[in-house]
Amino acid sequence: MANRKLSQISLNANMTPMIDVTFLLIVFFVVVSQIVDRDAIPMDLPAPDHAAAAISVVPDKVVVNIVQLENGEVAGIIVGGHSIAWDAMDTLTEIVKTRLQGGATEVHLRADRATKYAHIHEVIEAIRAVGTTPRLQLVINSEQR
Amino acid sequence: MIDVVFLLLIYFMVATEFKTAEQSFPMDVPLRQHGQTLMLDDEPLVIVVESAGVGEHDLRLRLVGPWDPIASIEALTEFLQTNRADGFGSYGLFTPTHPILIKPTSDTRWDHTLAAYNAVARAKYTNITLDQPS
Repeated sequence: MANRKLSQISLNANMTPMIDVTFLLIVFFVVVSQIVDRDAIPMDLPAPDHAAAAISVVPDKVVVNIVQLENGEVAGIIVGGHSIAWDAMDTLTEIVKTRLQGGATEVHLRADRATKYAHIHEVIEAIRAVGTTPRLQLVINSEQR
Repeated sequence: MIDVVFLLLIYFMVATEFKTAEQSFPMDVPLRQHGQTLMLDDEPLVIVVESAGVGEHDLRLRLVGPWDPIASIEALTEFLQTNRADGFGSYGLFTPTHPILIKPTSDTRWDHTLAAYNAVARAKYTNITLDQPS
C-alpha cells in the first residue's frame, strides 16, 4: 500500500519564486526604459575634474544639442526633435521661444567637448534673442573619464 | 506564460538605454540689445581662456589686469579662493557675487571653457558669465 502511494508522487519544480523575480525584473526595465531622456542625443560631453555642477530637476526643459563635425566645427542643431541647419539661428530662437511659452523654464545646452567656443557663443546669443531671460544650463558629463 | 514573460524580459533588457549621468552649470542669460555690451555693476574679473592642444589640461589662462600669471586650472581656483571676501574681517578682494567674465578665444574648445567655468564655480563664486569670443 505504501509503495503504491510513493510511486504516484510526481516531482515538480516550484516555479513561483522564479516567476516573481522575473516579473520584478520586467517592471524594473519597463520603468527605467521610460525615463530615458529622448531629447538628449549621444555625444562626448565635457567632464571637468571635481565638477561643482548640480543635477537639474526641472521637469520641463528645452534641450539644445549642438551636433559636432570634426575639428570643432558644427553640423547643425537638434532641439525638441527638430534638426536645424547651422545658419538658421532665427529658427532656433523661435523654437526655444515657443517651448518657453509652453511652460519650459530652462534651456539645457549640450555640446561636444571639442566644439569651438565661437559656435557655442552663437547659440547662446540665439537663446538670448528669445528675450525672456531664461536660465541656461551648461550640461556636462559628471562621470570622470 | 513563462515563455512570454522571458521574451518580454529579454526585449526590455536589450531595448533599455541607460541615461548617462549629466549635471549642469547654471548661467543667467540677461537681455541686451543687439550690438550692445552687457553692463555689469562692478568691474568684472576677466579670465581669458585659450586652447593649446586637445588634452584636458592643454589650455592657457590669463587674468586681465595687474595679476600674476595663472599656470593651471588648479592655480586659478586657488587664486580665486584666496582672494574671496567672505564677510567682515576677510581680506579678500572679491565678494562671492563679484562678476567674473570668462572670455575664451574663438577656437577655444568647449571642455577648456567649461574647465575654467568649473574652476570659478569651485571657488564658490556665483556671478559667472561667458563673454563673446576674443
